[in-house]
Amino acid sequence: MPNPRKKSDSHDAGRQHLGTVYAKALLGAAEKAGQADQVVDELDSLVADVLDNQPRVDAILTSPRLTHEERLPILNKAFGGKLSPTLMTFLKVVSKHGRLDSLRAIARAARKQLNTIRGRVEVLVETAYPLSNPIRDRITARLSELLHRQVILTTRINEELLGGLVVRVGDTVYDASLAASLKRMQQVTLEHTKQTIRDSIERFAMPT
Amino acid sequence: MKFNADEIASVIQAEIEKYESTIDVREVGTVLEVGDGIARVYGLSNIMSGEMVEFPSGVRGLAFNLEENSVGVTILGDYLEIEEGDEVKALGRLLSVPVGDAVLGRVLDPLGNPLDGKGPVATTETRPVEFIAPGIAGRQPVREPLQTGIKAIDAMTPIGRGQRELIIGDRKTGKTTIAIDTIINQKHSGVKCFYVAIGQKESSVANTIKVLEEHGAMDYTTVILSGASSPAPLQYVAPYAGTSMAEYFMYNGGHALIIYDDLSKQAAAYRELSLLMRRPPGREAFPGDVFYCHSRLLERSAKLSKELGGGSLTSLPIIETLEGEVSAYIPTNVISITDGQIYLQPDLFFKGIRPAMNVGISVSRVGGAAQVKAMKDKQVAGGLRLALAAFRELEAFAQLGTDLDAATQSRLDRGYRMVEILKQPQFQPLEVVDQVMIIFAANSGALDEVPINRVQAFEKEFLQFMRDVKATIRKDIADKKDLSPELKNTLTEAINQFKASFVKHVSK
Repeated sequence: MPNPRKKSDSHDAGRQHLGTVYAKALLGAAEKAGQADQVVDELDSLVADVLDNQPRVDAILTSPRLTHEERLPILNKAFGGKLSPTLMTFLKVVSKHGRLDSLRAIARAARKQLNTIRGRVEVLVETAYPLSNPIRDRITARLSELLHRQVILTTRINEELLGGLVVRVGDTVYDASLAASLKRMQQVTLEHTKQTIRDSIERFAMPT
Repeated sequence: MKFNADEIASVIQAEIEKYESTIDVREVGTVLEVGDGIARVYGLSNIMSGEMVEFPSGVRGLAFNLEENSVGVTILGDYLEIEEGDEVKALGRLLSVPVGDAVLGRVLDPLGNPLDGKGPVATTETRPVEFIAPGIAGRQPVREPLQTGIKAIDAMTPIGRGQRELIIGDRKTGKTTIAIDTIINQKHSGVKCFYVAIGQKESSVANTIKVLEEHGAMDYTTVILSGASSPAPLQYVAPYAGTSMAEYFMYNGGHALIIYDDLSKQAAAYRELSLLMRRPPGREAFPGDVFYCHSRLLERSAKLSKELGGGSLTSLPIIETLEGEVSAYIPTNVISITDGQIYLQPDLFFKGIRPAMNVGISVSRVGGAAQVKAMKDKQVAGGLRLALAAFRELEAFAQLGTDLDAATQSRLDRGYRMVEILKQPQFQPLEVVDQVMIIFAANSGALDEVPINRVQAFEKEFLQFMRDVKATIRKDIADKKDLSPELKNTLTEAINQFKASFVKHVSK
């Protein structure tokens, strides 16, 4: 069975790094103007609503055939007046450097950095069955308490877990799923049984 | 044997009943790219250098390169099952291998998994593969000999327990044979032996194991095999893994011998890894820390102080040179790390001088302190190196075809016979007392009248004679390990007695 996580998680480390640098600059400028949250929201919506829905816009923006000068009027026409001035200027700067193809990485990095600044943390909770809202709230509250930060909860359904839940905070995984527990039980039991048999083999011999 | 299924079921049931579920906390990352035995992993933000990771297929890896955005992992096993996007789990511990008496007599891979089909390695003890060498306070100078059983080596480049003696030479000059002879000779010395085969043909390793088995040497020997078909990361860790298994005996007050066959291939594997990891190449494209790679390995061979139990780990690294080029990068590195080298030359080998040791440039810097007194005696091996060097010079001079005076001719004759005495067939190590007696005999001129082609027959029969007829003298030397003037006299008498009968026998 293909793993659904694979596509979304396929990274390009170089682009990721690039995104981090641009995002830092963008947040710096936006914070000065006091509109960091707004800018990041706009950038997210630009990526999600425009680029993902209109592949042709994406193609035009990232095409290496267009020079910066040719792209400027397009940018102005398409987004002028709809985006905050900071983001608009930022897009032009990114275009000037020919990095519009990294816009997704920039948006991801900007969201992450803003979360860190605001003391928020993204947590992914995987469960075998959909969570009801009260349980969701309880999990969020409990995690916020444990992590001492405001938790932005994302949930995903993964039937392979059988039961229980898996919590991912950054690179750390807290696996309390039934599947992992069963697997570990199998390993431990096998190992111990093997050891017991090896230690006292005559106990297991069939009487002849 | 048949197993009782009910009994096994009851054990499993008991295990399940007492099993306690805990939350599994792990640090994870995602495979960005994989190939040629390495993987680049995104994530794993808190991993430490050298920490073990696990791929979904169960294959282990080592965090090798910590970069700003990714972690370079060397894969210790089959990397073809790993895919981009796989989740990698940090295990939070260092690579370690099983150690203890259970590893003796086994053929293992560098991770300690059995390759000989004799079942699992029954031990619970493990040691980390990378271990810091003992410091100066924990050491003492070498003082006990490690007998290789090879006349030329024990006489002229003696090896002490805790020494690192390099065996260097071109291909097909008998490097491995010296190592194998040394292992075979440890049968009654209690020294545990470890043979690390790196990047070799599996067929030659199979042969080596067969030879060891035939001589009963596998009882105290472990073979750590990472053949030519193993991926580079396994070849790279093999010597460290073997050293960990050998160190166990050293730190428990025992004595161990480890052979790295050979370190040039390990250096090449390390070069492959480093280049794949994009570490900058240096001389001969080796990475900058290839010296450290070998020095930290060989530093782990030591003679421990009395407080630490006085155990020892002797190592015989092997380096293969190309066309006798000892000034290449890796040979010079390892020569400078070790406490001496045994240099083998192809021309000597083809002349029939085997072991094909070049006496002039082979040295043992510390082993002299550990040599048995009887061997060190002026009339035995004390002046042998210089005498042979003088002989070589004389021999070259004599080839000019000038007429030689009687004194020079007799020195030449003595030299030819000494060279003949130092020849030794493979897999026939000699006890040190036999070595002392025959070298003493040759030095005292007993062989001067024996035709050169009969010298080896003389040696064989003489040693047999000493064993059968003059057993008390032999025992005296073996017990005292020293040649007193009286002992020398009785030995000379015995030699003369044998010589008389041998010459009569030959002339008949």
